[in-house]
Amino acid sequence: MTRQNKTALIIGAGLQGCSIALFLAKAGWKVTLFDKNVAGRHASSVNAGGLRMLLRDWREYPLAQRAMWHWANLDQLVGAAAAKSCEVRLGVSQIALALDEAEMSWAISRAEDMARRNLGQEELLSRDAVRSLLPGVSGRALGGLISRADGHANPAAATRAFREACMAAGAQIVQNCQVQGLAPVGGGGWRVTTPTGNHEGGVLVNCGGAWGADVAAMAGQALPLRTVAPSMMVTARVQPFLGPVVIGIDRPLSFKQSAVGSLVIGGGILGKPCPERDTSFTVMDRMTQSAAATLEAFPALAHAPVLRTWTGLEGATPDGIPFIGPGPGTPDLWHVFGFCGHGFHLSPAVGESVAHSLVSGSLHPMLAPFGCNRFAHGANA
Amino acid sequence: MTHSPTTPPMNADVIIVGCGPSGMAAAVELATAGCSVLVMDMQPAPGGQIFRNLEANTRGRNPGSKSVLAALGPSYRAGVALIERFRACKGIDYRSQTTVWEVRPDGTVGWLRGMEAGYVRAPCVLLAHGAMERPAPFPGWTLPGVMTAGAVQTLLKAGNLKPSGNIVLAGTGPLLLLLATQLCHLGVKPALIGRTDNFSHSLKAMRHLRGGGLSPVIKGVGWLARLKAKGVRTVSGLTHLAAEGARKVEAVSFAAGGRRERLPCDLLIVHDGIVPAIDIPNGAGLALQWDQTNASWRPHTTTDGLATPALPPELEPDHCAIRITGDARRIGGADAAMAHGRLAAQAILAEQGKGSGITPQHRKAVRKALSVRPFLDTAFPPGLSASLPDDATIVCRCEELSAGTLRAKIHAGFNNMDALRGETRCGMGPCQGRNCMVSAARLIMEAHNTSGPVPPTFRGRPPIRPLPLGALASLTGLDPRATELLTLEDKPEHDQEDKAHDPAE
Repeated sequence: MTRQNKTALIIGAGLQGCSIALFLAKAGWKVTLFDKNVAGRHASSVNAGGLRMLLRDWREYPLAQRAMWHWANLDQLVGAAAAKSCEVRLGVSQIALALDEAEMSWAISRAEDMARRNLGQEELLSRDAVRSLLPGVSGRALGGLISRADGHANPAAATRAFREACMAAGAQIVQNCQVQGLAPVGGGGWRVTTPTGNHEGGVLVNCGGAWGADVAAMAGQALPLRTVAPSMMVTARVQPFLGPVVIGIDRPLSFKQSAVGSLVIGGGILGKPCPERDTSFTVMDRMTQSAAATLEAFPALAHAPVLRTWTGLEGATPDGIPFIGPGPGTPDLWHVFGFCGHGFHLSPAVGESVAHSLVSGSLHPMLAPFGCNRFAHGANA
Repeated sequence: MTHSPTTPPMNADVIIVGCGPSGMAAAVELATAGCSVLVMDMQPAPGGQIFRNLEANTRGRNPGSKSVLAALGPSYRAGVALIERFRACKGIDYRSQTTVWEVRPDGTVGWLRGMEAGYVRAPCVLLAHGAMERPAPFPGWTLPGVMTAGAVQTLLKAGNLKPSGNIVLAGTGPLLLLLATQLCHLGVKPALIGRTDNFSHSLKAMRHLRGGGLSPVIKGVGWLARLKAKGVRTVSGLTHLAAEGARKVEAVSFAAGGRRERLPCDLLIVHDGIVPAIDIPNGAGLALQWDQTNASWRPHTTTDGLATPALPPELEPDHCAIRITGDARRIGGADAAMAHGRLAAQAILAEQGKGSGITPQHRKAVRKALSVRPFLDTAFPPGLSASLPDDATIVCRCEELSAGTLRAKIHAGFNNMDALRGETRCGMGPCQGRNCMVSAARLIMEAHNTSGPVPPTFRGRPPIRPLPLGALASLTGLDPRATELLTLEDKPEHDQEDKAHDPAE
């Protein structure tokens, strides 16, 4: 039996791959990760680092809640020093700001919906409450939603912490190693072909991120994925005035103030992906809308100078939630990618639940919504 | 790339970035031949660094103008004729106080003026943005009271401000000696000129003397004679320069002639030569090459200034619309910049089916003006930056990172430029790496224990200069092909999901 030999190969040493490796290695498995670049080079390290239940898809809720517990107790996972380096700031809250009637009525129905599901993390905010929580917010703000336990962390440091923790637990990372082929091994398990030789393992996990569908294709499995390049920008340091992370509802708005005072602005505006070259480009013609959305919310920031922009490569699925589970008909080949720009927060719980499923041989119930078969013809019939 | 009907309109035949000697010379040449030219420049008036504020100083409205004009000498006044011709030229749309924050290889230029910003386009963009002083981190270089020679000249020209107190000049290059002469002329006698170059450099340089390049050398000998006559103390072969002081520079220490010395000092003026400013070409994704003699990058261009894109093929335009001229292409000084500006203009005109074409005279003028370079490069090799700074010295001043911090991270495996930047934030501050990039690259080479190949630059992304949010929010001249709002669309859709999938129901 393949599971009994307790070996896993993981393609992609980003945050998700390293998190799965960490939990598997702690369970006594022999884990080898392959990364075509440097571990954590892409979306893992350059995302906004949001830790949020706010506006979380309800299907991700159990996973996200479990992940929140891990972020709050990160020292238990990666050690005290590494956990400190991750700058986890929970409890600063995230606020979804309604700047017009449509956004406000969406917020109200979202609040009702979540209450009905007993997912009570979000509270509706009145116009006055928003003003007192967000100094400098536009007079047009009508209210919003708040998730008070939310916050953020440093994505580059967290990616590094998980990488180092999984290595300390015994996982091996082979960097700059492009996987060229996958094949099932007779009697169970998978073989991967790389320029430096073949490797075999009882289980193969595809954590290929923006390239996840390409990896799946090597096993003859077609999973729908769009490669996107979400962009971000950062301003010069301004006087600290904002604790919560502010996100838009129908506007490309997402921003927070860093500890040193710079404003980190996201909002899901897409740049130009160039996955064949392992890179992507910001498109300022689009970033203008992100700047406009920020100023709609906080008009006084017009003079804050933007210093830098950047993008990272990410995979987006058609329904906005990731693939997490075995491939169709391949119980020992798992796909874990397509996090649609909000996988950072989920990663510790993804690692834990995927490892738990592989070790126990049965799918963790939290992973039920993320099946790789859900877009197959007739899946919804 | 196919041109759809929504291809944005062109704003001019040629856009020139920079209004110094090369930019003005090219603009005049192009406009005279009937081209519409859009010139963008950060300064309030034409002239570039060398002819900065020349119009105002010659009009002499300021009381200090006259003495400054006299002190700056004939090489400053030499710009008057060119500026007059530039001003008189019809067909030049001159936009002062305009900062360029993005250039694309397809001929798109992002600009900022006050709180207004936008894009303009032309079939050809000529980069004439000039040079910068070579970054040279040494102990104490970030203390108040340490300035570069170029900054002192800026204050002289633009503000008619002259320094006072105990002044020490240290470094190398013609500008250092010229500035010392100019200061003496203004009655400001430096306490010391500490040259990092020495007699053996001068001796070696003599081999490169050619008839055509003699006049700059004669000029230099004249400066030295004047400094000697004024009794300014000069040492050569200076090493181990350090600025000392608690809140500002109070003393300067150095070694020369086998002796350590420490002098009281109110103003330390440093200069280690000039290098092409590469932020615009790097941000445009143009190929750069390492110039070992000058220990600096410069853009890869043809003799006519045509640049080479280094973008992935799928992002490359039909043809490269960018040319580079003047000191931005290759350090050569004002005369070489003007000569090459005219040559590049003729190359552009030839492409557009205008002008008289490049003549042998154009090429000869460039060659003649550049003929002194081998002499100057040999006589004034990089000095202050010759050896890498010690661990305690700041390398990235925006993020306050020392050489020791960077060395430790490089040894920990962050041994390529972008990884080092991501890990340490080196080069992420307001200067966007203009000052620290070359030192970071050399520290990586030091760790690899090689003299090459030189690591690539930090990846450049727009905006290469700070762009206020308000200006970005109201950008004009957007490319309709790029503006379509593409977002992640990750707003959860609670209503439909509710009925279709909720396992609880």
